[in-house]
Amino acid sequence: MTVVTAVGSRPLRPRRPTVPRIGWIGTAILGGFAALAVAAPLLAPYRATALSGRPLEPPSLAHLVGTNAVGQDLFTQLLSGVRAAMFVAVVAGSGAALLGGSIGVLAGWWGGGVDLVVMRAADVLLVIPRLPLLIVIVAYAGPGLGTRSTVIALTFWPEAAKVLRAQVRSLRHRDHLTAATGFGAGPSHSLRRHVVPEVGLVLASALVAAAGRAVMLEVGLAFLGLGDPNQASWGSIVRDALKFQGLFFTRAWAWWLLPPLLATGLLLAGITFIGLAAERWVNPRLARHVSGGRP
Amino acid sequence: MRWRVVMTSAVTLLAVVTVVFALPRAMPGDPLAALQDRSTATPISPEASAHLRSYYRLDRPLGSQYGHYLSRLARGDLGWSISRNVPVRTLVAAHLPWTLLLLGTSMAVAAATSFLAGVAAAWRRGRPLDRGLLATMTALRALPPYALAAFLLVVLAVLLPVFPLAGARTPFAAYGSPLGAVGDVGRHLVLPAAALGLSLLSTRFLLVRNTMVSSLGQDYMVLGRAKGLPPRLLKYRHGGRNALLPFVASLGVEAGFGVGFSILVESVFAYPGMGTLILRAVETRDYPVLEGAFLALALTVLSVNAAAELVMRRLDPRVAGR
Repeated sequence: MTVVTAVGSRPLRPRRPTVPRIGWIGTAILGGFAALAVAAPLLAPYRATALSGRPLEPPSLAHLVGTNAVGQDLFTQLLSGVRAAMFVAVVAGSGAALLGGSIGVLAGWWGGGVDLVVMRAADVLLVIPRLPLLIVIVAYAGPGLGTRSTVIALTFWPEAAKVLRAQVRSLRHRDHLTAATGFGAGPSHSLRRHVVPEVGLVLASALVAAAGRAVMLEVGLAFLGLGDPNQASWGSIVRDALKFQGLFFTRAWAWWLLPPLLATGLLLAGITFIGLAAERWVNPRLARHVSGGRP
Repeated sequence: MRWRVVMTSAVTLLAVVTVVFALPRAMPGDPLAALQDRSTATPISPEASAHLRSYYRLDRPLGSQYGHYLSRLARGDLGWSISRNVPVRTLVAAHLPWTLLLLGTSMAVAAATSFLAGVAAAWRRGRPLDRGLLATMTALRALPPYALAAFLLVVLAVLLPVFPLAGARTPFAAYGSPLGAVGDVGRHLVLPAAALGLSLLSTRFLLVRNTMVSSLGQDYMVLGRAKGLPPRLLKYRHGGRNALLPFVASLGVEAGFGVGFSILVESVFAYPGMGTLILRAVETRDYPVLEGAFLALALTVLSVNAAAELVMRRLDPRVAGR
C-alpha cells in the first residue's frame, strides 16, 4: 500500500515495525481453523445428525472426541461448529467493519448534520445493552446463519464507525488534502485517492476486532438456543451438554463440554493475537505505551 | 447541566421503545394468518380472529397502536406472557433483583480490582508485575464469558466441590437464622459473580493502566516527586485520581456489556435472573417476555449510564461546561 503525500513527491513511507511474533501465532491459529472449515466435509467421519455410536462413548479411534447423550459423533459436530464460527467471523465481521467503516468515513468527511445524526445513532446503540437487543431481533428474524450474521453486522457497526470517523477527521485538514482540493480534486477523488488508502490499516484492525466479537456472539446466541437447528455450532454443543441432567455425574463433561469451549477460546485467542499485532502496526506509539517498553 | 443528562437518556429510551414496537410490525406476514389457515389442525373461526385482531389493536392505524403502546408502558404494563399466562411485569419483578445482585456484586469487585491492578501495573510499567498482568488480562479478554463460567463450574464445583453447581439458593432449605440465608445466597453467588467479574475486568484494566501511564508523565508528578511526596500519595492521590475520570465515564458502557454477559453466565449456572427468564422465553418464543426483559434491562443500563454521567460532572466540572 502506498501512502501518497503530495503530487510529484516521492511517497514518504514511515518505517514499519516488523510483525511481532504474536501476530504470526495468531495467523497460524486462524489459518488452521480456516483450513479445517474448508476441509470439514472431507474430514467429517459421519453425518452430524447420524446416531453413529452408543450414548456418551469416551474418545476413541472411531469417535475422536467421543459421542453425546444420543450417540452423535462430537468430532463431526465440532467441525460443523468450525464452519459456523468461520462463516460468521468473515461475513458478520467484514459486514460490521465495512458498514461501520463507510459510515465513519462519510460522517467524518462531511461533518455537520449527517455526522451529528449518524453519531447520535451510534451512541444510542453503544449505550443500550446490545446482546438482549440481538436476542429479541434474532428471535423475530430467525436463527439462520446468514440472518444472524446480518443482524450482528447491523447492531455492531458503531465501534468501527467511531474509530474511522476519528481517523478521517484528523486527516481532513492535513496539508496534502488541502493541496489536493486546491488542485481541483473533488470529494470523491480525495476520498478514494487520499483518505481510503490511509485509513486502510485502521479499517483492517477494526475488521479483526469485529470478527472476534462476531464469533463470540455467534457462539453465545447458539448457546442461548438461537442457533440454526440444522447446523451444530460450538454454542449449541455447550447448550446440549449443559442441558443434559447427568452431565456432571459422569465423566462426559470432559469430552462433551470442554472441547467446544476450548475451540472457541483458541479461535478467539488467535483473533486477539492478530488484533494486538495489527494495533501495534497501526499505532506504534500506542503499542510502546501498552507493551511497557521504557521511554 | 443536569436536565441534559436526563433528556439524553429519555430520548435514548424512546428510541429503544420505538425499536421494540416497530420490530414485530416490520416482520413480513400477518400474525393471525397461521391461526386462520384451514389446512392446520385447529383453525380459528373468523369471529375469534376478529376478536383477537381488535384485542391486540391490529385493526387500528399504526399511530394509534404506538400511542396505546406508549401509554401502556408508561403505566408499567409490559404485556402478558404467552407461555406462562401471567403478566410480564410479575416475571420481570421476580427475576430482575437476582440479576441486579449478580451484576452489582461483580461490577463492584471488577471495578475495584481493575482500578487497583491498572494503577499498580502503570506504576511498575515494564516490570514483571506489569507484564504478567497484561498477559493475564489479554487471555481474559479472549475468553468469552460463558467459557469462563463453564471452566469455573468444572474446576470449583465439579472437580473440587467447593461451591454449589447451580441456582441461587439451596432448594427447600430451612435456614436457622437470617444469617444462614445470607450465607447460602452468598455461596451460590460466588462462582457466577467471579465469572462475570473476570470477563468485565480486562477492558477497564487496560483503560486505567493507559490513562495512568500518561498521567504519570505529567509535570505535576515531577513536581510532586521534587517536593518529596511519599510514593503512596503520588501513586493514588496524584496519579490515580486523574486516571479515575475515563474510568467512571466508562462504567455506563460496562453496565451494557455486563447485562449481556450476565445473561450468558446465568444460563451456565441456572441462576434465576433475567438470563434464565430470557432463556425460557426464547425456548417458547414468548415474545412479550423477551421484549419486556429487554426493556427492563435497557432501563437498568440507561440509569447506570446517567448516574455515571452525573458523577462525572461532579468529579470534573469541565465536563459539564462542554
